[in-house]
Amino acid sequence: MTMDDMKNEADAASIVSMALYTVMYPVFNQLEKVNLSAAQTLRAAIIKAEKENPGLTQDIVMKILEKKNVKIDYHESLLRMAADDVEEFTIDRREPEFQELNERARALKHILSTIPDEIYDRAGFLQSIKDIASAIKELLDMVNTVFRKYQYQNKRALEQQKKEFVKYSKSFSVTLKTYFRDGKVMNVFVSANRLTHQTNMILQAFKTVV
Amino acid sequence: MATPLARGSMDHEPGIVSPFKRVFLKGEKGRDKKAQEKATERRALHTFSLSQPDHRIDPDILLNDYIEKEVKYLGQLSSVPGYLNPSSRTEVLQLVDNARSHQLAGQLTSEQDAVVSLSAYNIKLVWRDGEDIILRVPIHDIAAVSYIRDDSLHLVVIKTAQESGGSPCPSSCPDLNKSQTLSSLSEGGAVLVEVCCLLVLAVDNKAAAEELCLLLSQVFQIVYTESTIDFLDRAIFDGATTPTRHLSLYSDDSSSKVDVKEAFEEEASAFPFQASMEAEGNSPSASTPASPQAKTASDGDLSTTAAELLQDYMTTLRTKLSSQEIQQFATLLHEYRNGASIHEFCINLRQLYGDSRKFLLLGLRPFIPEKDSQHFENFLETIGVKDGRGIITDSFGRYRRTASSASDSTANGNGAAGGSGASDEGQEAPEGDEWDRMITDIGNDIEALGCSMDQEGATP
Repeated sequence: MTMDDMKNEADAASIVSMALYTVMYPVFNQLEKVNLSAAQTLRAAIIKAEKENPGLTQDIVMKILEKKNVKIDYHESLLRMAADDVEEFTIDRREPEFQELNERARALKHILSTIPDEIYDRAGFLQSIKDIASAIKELLDMVNTVFRKYQYQNKRALEQQKKEFVKYSKSFSVTLKTYFRDGKVMNVFVSANRLTHQTNMILQAFKTVV
Repeated sequence: MATPLARGSMDHEPGIVSPFKRVFLKGEKGRDKKAQEKATERRALHTFSLSQPDHRIDPDILLNDYIEKEVKYLGQLSSVPGYLNPSSRTEVLQLVDNARSHQLAGQLTSEQDAVVSLSAYNIKLVWRDGEDIILRVPIHDIAAVSYIRDDSLHLVVIKTAQESGGSPCPSSCPDLNKSQTLSSLSEGGAVLVEVCCLLVLAVDNKAAAEELCLLLSQVFQIVYTESTIDFLDRAIFDGATTPTRHLSLYSDDSSSKVDVKEAFEEEASAFPFQASMEAEGNSPSASTPASPQAKTASDGDLSTTAAELLQDYMTTLRTKLSSQEIQQFATLLHEYRNGASIHEFCINLRQLYGDSRKFLLLGLRPFIPEKDSQHFENFLETIGVKDGRGIITDSFGRYRRTASSASDSTANGNGAAGGSGASDEGQEAPEGDEWDRMITDIGNDIEALGCSMDQEGATP
């Protein structure tokens, strides 16, 4: 699977493709230990199907949950799983700045994934928000550092991805303000998932362009 | 309250009332009547119904309105040690007891009746009668709220800053730990504040005390929440901008502000090397008879001059281009320096500047490497900004002559430089050429830009 495939699959404006890399990739990884060939075939097939029909994987997952009568909240579960590393989004370059970028993205995703556990305790949740704020700032600082220090072929693409990340960070802040008025946790989970997805897109952009 | 004797008498002989009781009851009735009369004279409190059992109130009321509760104001203790633990009943009562004789009211009467007005901004205490303000405490000055029941006395003790504006919390603690309810705040044991104040209130019963504490807790939550969201917004804003020590040029999209000045500085740091490298390649030890300036010019001076030239050019660009266009210029310059062709660079710049600002290309002359200078000069000719053609040169004859002098003379320089003819033109010409070209172009550019600004000022 090429980076271009991932780029097409992971629509920056939608989180439907999160089901593919958040839910299915770990499943494929486990299946590979049982039957490598079959798992790789299945992986390729689902990736291709998702590419042609964005959101298909999410639909499959939801249907499986329904059939098995598993009573879980999909968005909450997705958020809890979002902290796991996705190899396809990990920057390979060994320079310290890129490795630090990996680390800061991982840290942000980890804090976001704890929201379901913290949201019901106001004091704890507010502390989490502070941690998220610091993590966002640190990630953006490292993005800016890489912008300054390294040459890249398509700066516009990177800047656009940074803008998207900032946009969804602001959206997350607005969602929180609304949550503290209406108490609807689902919106917070969805917004946090979007921010997690944008974090992955930042990594993907730097992996492919720089 | 009836005595057992009086009660017993009444029970067995309802028609007979003890004279003592009559007097006692008459006095009591009198006082009750007075209190009742007073109560009816007092205005109704600005209050709201609270949801049970946690006494929740609509946050908008605390943000945009206020709520009042009746209390008794016993007094305020000042110069209380800052390390006082407000959740320690013993410590607080010890202070209160010591102060009851001189600082705090001893007996609770209607004279201590007060109203506490609570909002997300402050708590305000006024006397129930007369509405004179007793004190006002901003929320950020409140460290803790405690409820202490001492027999029939229900005390609400508020730990505040010693003076308005000061912080009752250690400076190391964030102003975020105010969301606790009945218990006091523990700031990890670190105490950096010497003294604080204790505001001592009394309420009728436990329910009233808990209600007041929970209301204050909700205020703390609102303030804490607002400040946390502000912190998040600030972090996003700070991260979205590229840090710089200088003024940044902002794009229209506030979500991503690019510091173009920084991009320029990176370019400026490289150009002096370029200028000095060109000078070194032309025998730096040889004297340059073209002009006295060139004779004494060192590589460092040329580097400084190149940097100054770039700074001047940047200053000009800022007056002629929008912020977005300057960003585009920086991008084009960066791409050129990273391998894009001179042809592509020229075409893109011409497109960026447009017809009315094509003269800006002249200012780039000092920064074009020798290998590309011919192409650059040819390009200038094609667009009509060289050798007397173009809007700038047409109206400024001196420019035409000076340009001709620069193009014709390789070692003699020009009038501005004041140089004289050289004896070894072949050997020293390249370095003299470079210096003369730069000096000539600086002068021409300044004159040309000044002319264009005059033209712009003249046209409506």
